[in-house]
Amino acid sequence: MKKIGILFIFLLSLACKEAEKSKTLAENPEGKEIAIEYANGFSITEFKDYSIIEVNSPWPEAEKSFKYLLAKKEAKIPKNVTYDQKVTIPVQKMVVTSTTHIPALEALNETSTLKGFPGLDYISSEQTRNLIDSGAIKEVGKNESLNTEVLIDLQPDVVIGFAINADNKSFSTIQKTGIPVVYNGEWTESSALGKAEWIKFFGALYDKSKAADSIFQRIESNYQSAKKLAETAENKPKVLSGAMYKDQWYLPYGNSWQAQMIKDANAEYLWADTKGSGSLSLSFESVLDKAQDADFWISAGQFTSYSGMLEQSQHYSQFKAVQDKKVFSVSMSKGETGGVIFYELGPNRPDLILKDLISIFHPQLLENYQPTFYKALND
Amino acid sequence: MKSNPLHITLKTSNLEIGYQDKNGIKSIAEKINIEVQASELIAVIGINGIGKSTLLRSISGIQKPISGSIEIENKNLQELSDLQRAARISLVLTNQPISKNLSVFELIALGRQPYTNWLGKLSKNDAEKIENAIALTSIESLKDRKCYELSDGQLQRVLIARAIAQDTPIIILDEPTTHLDMYHKAYVVKLLKKLAKQTQKTIIFASHEINLAIQICDKIILMQPDKCQINTPENLISTRAFQDLFPKDLIHFDKISRAFRIKNED
Amino acid sequence: MQQAGKHVSILAILSLMLIALTLLNISLGSVNIPFNDIFSSFMNAEVSKETYRYIILDYRLPKAFTAIIAGSGLAISGLLMQTMFRNPLAGPYVLGLSSGASLGVAIVIMGATLIGGSFVALALSKWTLVIASSLGSLMVLFAVVLASVRLRDTMAILIVGLMFASLTGAVVSILSYFSPAAQLQQYIFWSFGSLGDLSWEEVGILTIFWFLGISLAIFCIKNLNSLLLGEAYARSLGVNIRRNRMLIILATSLLAGSITAFCGPIAFIGLAVPHLIRQVLPVNNHLILMPAVILGGAILMLICDIVSQLPGMEFTLPINAITSIIGAPVVIWLLIRKQKFLF
Repeated sequence: MKKIGILFIFLLSLACKEAEKSKTLAENPEGKEIAIEYANGFSITEFKDYSIIEVNSPWPEAEKSFKYLLAKKEAKIPKNVTYDQKVTIPVQKMVVTSTTHIPALEALNETSTLKGFPGLDYISSEQTRNLIDSGAIKEVGKNESLNTEVLIDLQPDVVIGFAINADNKSFSTIQKTGIPVVYNGEWTESSALGKAEWIKFFGALYDKSKAADSIFQRIESNYQSAKKLAETAENKPKVLSGAMYKDQWYLPYGNSWQAQMIKDANAEYLWADTKGSGSLSLSFESVLDKAQDADFWISAGQFTSYSGMLEQSQHYSQFKAVQDKKVFSVSMSKGETGGVIFYELGPNRPDLILKDLISIFHPQLLENYQPTFYKALND
Repeated sequence: MKSNPLHITLKTSNLEIGYQDKNGIKSIAEKINIEVQASELIAVIGINGIGKSTLLRSISGIQKPISGSIEIENKNLQELSDLQRAARISLVLTNQPISKNLSVFELIALGRQPYTNWLGKLSKNDAEKIENAIALTSIESLKDRKCYELSDGQLQRVLIARAIAQDTPIIILDEPTTHLDMYHKAYVVKLLKKLAKQTQKTIIFASHEINLAIQICDKIILMQPDKCQINTPENLISTRAFQDLFPKDLIHFDKISRAFRIKNED
Repeated sequence: MQQAGKHVSILAILSLMLIALTLLNISLGSVNIPFNDIFSSFMNAEVSKETYRYIILDYRLPKAFTAIIAGSGLAISGLLMQTMFRNPLAGPYVLGLSSGASLGVAIVIMGATLIGGSFVALALSKWTLVIASSLGSLMVLFAVVLASVRLRDTMAILIVGLMFASLTGAVVSILSYFSPAAQLQQYIFWSFGSLGDLSWEEVGILTIFWFLGISLAIFCIKNLNSLLLGEAYARSLGVNIRRNRMLIILATSLLAGSITAFCGPIAFIGLAVPHLIRQVLPVNNHLILMPAVILGGAILMLICDIVSQLPGMEFTLPINAITSIIGAPVVIWLLIRKQKFLF
């Protein structure tokens, strides 16, 4: 009898909790989710006085997702809203940790809010470099390590972090001082447009969601029309990518965003049916055997000249693409301090990448086109 | 070949031995004047630490003397090249990192290194010397065994055979009887005596076996703190040279048995 | 002499194995090239695909050559070190050659970033790495030799070499800690070792060093035999210990240093091959042992290269991993079988 009594009380308390929950839900009006078409890594839900950004892939195989609450300074937040970090918007002072974050800020006209960056030399954009030269942006770290002291001293409203795995001691140190750290998982997106769509992420932080949306729509329509243009081409050239280290060849997988864009540019990437993350590594023999007669070679590692390439290895001379001088590299376009423009601007402007590729593979479709990223190798 | 009994193989003049360390020169023994001849078996006797090993190292050319001269068959030791020295002095040592995988024959054959060509190929003469050395030390039955299979006594004979094969006028041994039982101690010194006579070589060995040395050696080099003398056992006994060799409380030298004996407590 | 006949026949068998494995090595790889095409490539005749000819003559052939030189060179270095130090665990790298090379290469790949800014290190030519590796090896070797001149005890040189290895390892760790991911990856790839990256010109230069080193080693055969009795006996047999030490160190440096400079550090071969050969050919005379070790080293390296190429698959494995994975269990198996370890 006693046992049943305890069980009854237990079940009752559970029921009460359930009732409370639904009551509080009723107090919160349904949030409106912003339309996100291509990106899988985040979602934005707008409520009356606040928004929630949920990042569910900050790094590959992340076990949990992160909820970020965005609200204006005086906004009233209901008590029962759960979130990992709270950011006061619009952001006035920001620190970002990857060059891929910079173009979004420029597009939204918010570069003046950028106060710090780790590895200033990597930044290639002229506009931001001017700010760096004037001392407005501070160096907050070197290589993969953040100088937490300098960063905390800047007192930014938010730090946009990117992480490879769950091991992030420097970020948690910063969070402990009250500075919110928000993970940007754009780099985990597998589609080109998905990557570019993360501009909406930044749009929400600056309370400029509408502007971000129209910027993205423009990029998207540019991309789609370029893709349609490519479909009109008569031939489908064969494409090689990557480069060797010693006698191992490293190239992108078939499901990577570079490979996808080659496909959208109506060309055949010779390893299009491979799947994986990271780089595919193959023996020199198998690459030569498969791609000796490839028409074009895109992204040849660090090489900027044919002589440099051949000095590294005579084997490169066997490829038709080298003999016909049809090798194109993003390493040719660099900023003042050596940062490669492609790695910074590329993810944000897939339409420009696609157009570059089309102008290479099907020059007759885009005559007199000046490529932004891919340039022909020097002699 | 007629042996020349007065053929002096080793001669030291006013030799002072010792070593140099960071504090300066340390002298172990001085005023060493010795002469040894062919066919002689000579023991170097003295208390622990007196410098027996240093003396042997000095006369075999491993250690430089502080002053004085050493002559090997009338040639100054310092002026000999490595190979010339190797053709005049051979050693038998203990506790060396010898590769145990060597066969007995291979080990003895290494005694011919100073004479073979640049690849170490054995000539007919070399083969003869090796066979001769094996016969003299009576180790024919061990010829094809590996060194790790040998007992201490057998290994000692093999090392002596190697020195014989090197065919030098002088053979120097450092404590050759140390790990051997009494029978084999006697065996080794008798073997050395036989070899000295048969091959006309000078054989010098440092040892603690003073009783055996007195019985069998032609001469004894007696090293003491104040002097170093060389003489026949007879003369050393009659000049009472052994009396002051050791502290007198436990053992004394008995002239009748010509040996050191434990003192009776009565 | 029955023994001599047996030795000669084993050497003959090893020579035949070398030829057979060289042919096998050239025939196998990621790409399945039909035997006719292999033959035609050598005969300057028609092949079904021109890339096949290129792969055979300009990739697999120099790689096989490099494997033979590297394998035999490292094996002889190991033998020299084991005899000189009378230590079965010595290998070609006990003098610090590999740690010096690693330090030189680490400084050039990772250190440049610290000094010159983010992008200096990426513009590295092949020869920069070869020179950096050689200078690094020389530097550490010089330090070890300096210590060797002052030290009378050969065993102490072994310890000095090991200590320098720890020291350089520590510096490389520090450089790795501060290095950006791209450079660290480059350094790690170098440390995997690679046989297939040499042009014919580079193979030629490597061969010259190999030839010099092997010649010096052959010159030392007699002294090495004397050293089997230990240094005291060797000296009494007329060996100039100091000069001999220098010659052996020089031979080892020429061999192991040049191989590491061109191929990266390749583990295990130098240590294992002398032991493996001794199991098959239990002689002590270096006159027989040396040619056997040269052949054995080349054979083992060719085998490891064949395995690392994962014939038929598009992927390959780093040579360093294979030399260890194959070599270690083989030595353990042989020792268990023979049950005694004599040195």
